[in-house]
Amino acid sequence: MSTDALDRHAPAQSGIDRALGLLDGFREHIEHVQPTLTGLPVLWVRRERIVEILRHLKAPPASFSMLYDLSAVDERLRAHRDGLPAADFTVFYHLLSVDRNEDLIIKVALTGGDPNLPSVTRVFANANWYEREIWDLFGITATGHPHLQRLLMPPTWHGHPLRKDYPARATEFDPYTLTVEGQQTEQEALKFEPEAWGMQRERDGSEFMFLNLGPNHPSAHGAFRIVLQLDGEEIIDCVPDIGYHHRGAEKMAERQTWHSFIPYTDRIDYTGGVMNNLPYVLAVEKLAGIEVPDRVKTVRVMMAEMFRISSHLLFLGTYLQDLGAMSPVFYSFTDRQRAYKVIEGITGFRMHPAWYRIGGLAQDLPVGWQQLVQEFLDWMPPRLREYELAMMKNALVRERTRHVAAFTTTEALEWGVTGPNLRATGCNFDLRKQRPYSGYENFDFEVPLGQHGDVFDRGQLRIEEMRQSLRIIQQCVDHMPAGDYKADHPLTTPPPRERMLQHIETLITHFLQVSWGPVLKPGESLQMVEATKGINSYYLTSDGNNMSYRTRIRTPSFPHLQQIPSLMRGGFVPDMIAHLGSIDFVMADVDR
Amino acid sequence: MPYRLTRAEEEQESSDRYPLGRRQSSEEYVKSQLERNVFTGKLSDVLNSAVNWGRKNSLWPYNFGLSCCYVEMTTAFTSPHDIARFGSEVIRASPRQADFMVIAGTCFIKMAPVIQQLYDQMLEPKWVISMGSCANSGGMYDIYSVVQGVDKFLPVDVYVAGCPPRPEAFLQALQLLQDSIQEERRPLSWVVGDQGVYKAEMGSQREQKRSQRIEATELRTPDKL
Ligand code: SF4
Repeated sequence: MSTDALDRHAPAQSGIDRALGLLDGFREHIEHVQPTLTGLPVLWVRRERIVEILRHLKAPPASFSMLYDLSAVDERLRAHRDGLPAADFTVFYHLLSVDRNEDLIIKVALTGGDPNLPSVTRVFANANWYEREIWDLFGITATGHPHLQRLLMPPTWHGHPLRKDYPARATEFDPYTLTVEGQQTEQEALKFEPEAWGMQRERDGSEFMFLNLGPNHPSAHGAFRIVLQLDGEEIIDCVPDIGYHHRGAEKMAERQTWHSFIPYTDRIDYTGGVMNNLPYVLAVEKLAGIEVPDRVKTVRVMMAEMFRISSHLLFLGTYLQDLGAMSPVFYSFTDRQRAYKVIEGITGFRMHPAWYRIGGLAQDLPVGWQQLVQEFLDWMPPRLREYELAMMKNALVRERTRHVAAFTTTEALEWGVTGPNLRATGCNFDLRKQRPYSGYENFDFEVPLGQHGDVFDRGQLRIEEMRQSLRIIQQCVDHMPAGDYKADHPLTTPPPRERMLQHIETLITHFLQVSWGPVLKPGESLQMVEATKGINSYYLTSDGNNMSYRTRIRTPSFPHLQQIPSLMRGGFVPDMIAHLGSIDFVMADVDR
Repeated sequence: MPYRLTRAEEEQESSDRYPLGRRQSSEEYVKSQLERNVFTGKLSDVLNSAVNWGRKNSLWPYNFGLSCCYVEMTTAFTSPHDIARFGSEVIRASPRQADFMVIAGTCFIKMAPVIQQLYDQMLEPKWVISMGSCANSGGMYDIYSVVQGVDKFLPVDVYVAGCPPRPEAFLQALQLLQDSIQEERRPLSWVVGDQGVYKAEMGSQREQKRSQRIEATELRTPDKL
């Protein structure tokens, strides 16, 4: 490992000491302290005590109140495991403490043909879906889980796709066919059985109604299904059903080169465009040890904030449409068209530019970009004022959204809620401030907060966030640093073109790097960013190859949907529609 | 003009594959009709044209989206692109009231039976636009959970290339669909004709626009706006 890589370990050392201090009573159960490039302490613990350890860490003084992520790695084909405990599968728990702004990753090694470990759903409520996910995709059993069923794949599926011995390509299987009989079987398998979820069919002699909302419903924002148990208008209970949008992005990362995976990140939160490239390229740059020039950092921030605005505009239109207002969507899409003019002018594409590169950008800013961006910056503020006047100050909207589907900061943390939805509860946690990346520390902006955590606050807050994004973009325009749009580093991909033409040696290097892709040293890295919908992160494991060994994509919308039942029990159907509109989710950001 | 004939299947076997119904090429259908009797041939021609004109100018889309492409599709519905110019602004939330379905996005194996169900719920005459590379062929998602093209089980009328296609491309697809509807021959009543659906083979735009495309010899460099 190079020295600069070791230097970047240094800040984590104090974190490791603190983590070990917090786990003093569990010293003999800690198997290994793993050095990584994640910047976080990574501890391997014994499987038997995982529940107690997590319970201990959740309570004060550790106060890791949020289970930020939980997933697994199939370790069986990993070549570089120097010093790591023997494992066929590893399950990791990423804990986050908002109070102390600190993280901790706990790993558990599993061996043998039937990997299993105790379920932690009693400690963290949101472990529920994550454990179902690792059962579905890895075949790892969480014993004691209340409802261990497939989550993403259809109930009739065979095999566990993220296992290394499972083929990735559709073209490796027989071509897809659908017969009349198959159609019936699949539809039958999708049928909801209340008993399987411990639900009653009737109460006091009156039957409940089970309403199937989705997988295609105009207010469900894509292929999302939620089954409601209704007593009149009242929701007694509900069960969200996801997986209708599972594109296997994590498996895809194991077969695309580091470089050619970038376009797939755009399509995770598909309204977020290059915002998705950011955590990925930052994580890859950590692995490669690349430090990018200031100009690159600033351009990245500028374009990411452009997409935050465009995504929030889409939110605003659909949010109000779900409440029954027809016209806002026409206004906000007009603005989006303006935003796309800027985005297209600079990146050459509208929704999925895939414009960031490992160690830089695809190209420099075009001549005349300032004026283009400035036009947009001048256009937006009066529009936002108008929206506030016409919509958020509208008595009907207020009546319809105030104190509806409200939750507190504690509840939000319990369910892993991040981003604007968390800040609407009054919790001041924005990674751009708390853990600045890509030069956010140099910008002057505020973090808008809500108070009640209700549907109204979630809408209002996003209008305010757009204003702050405009402020950030203005600063980018005013103070854009001069310099190169690519880092001067051997792993920058694609390498600078001028170098390629020097002699045959450089041409060969260039050719290999573009066709094969760069080869990164073994290691693990992680980057979290404040994306449009909440915290998005990429946890990369390199095995010294030209593609990743395992890419874990943690998306904000996944926990947001998991929270719905706990919030909507006892609510009314129209309130749930209002809530769905206010979450701001896209299904690709849930199912990946 | 060459036509393609589809006949509704009277009996369904459970092992039958979607898309159901037999399809066969049918050369010069209209001419053969004409030859039978000049007068009735002309009459049915006029009637057909009138009915088709009505159909093609009030196509009601089904509000159905799968993924990213859907965002560009809705963009086409809003004011800057204004789909109302083509008579298709009446978006229906129920398949039973819609005329055509746009498969805008990736077709997932978990979703395919649902899509089929929704398609079956639409009433004839109905059409399908496949929007975006994913729906056309699986696109960049050659992965275990994705059907490699929606035409594996649905009959598609128009394919739109792009990932995602621009809203303008979607509008063009709509116009192409209208053109093809104008040439269609459907039974004018349940007692007239042979009850088959004759769709014109419209030919691919890629071929038709080829000469126009190769005329471009200089492409703009990306360093200017
Ligand atoms: S074609 Fe591209 S934009 Fe459309 S759904 Fe597929 S990935 Fe998304």
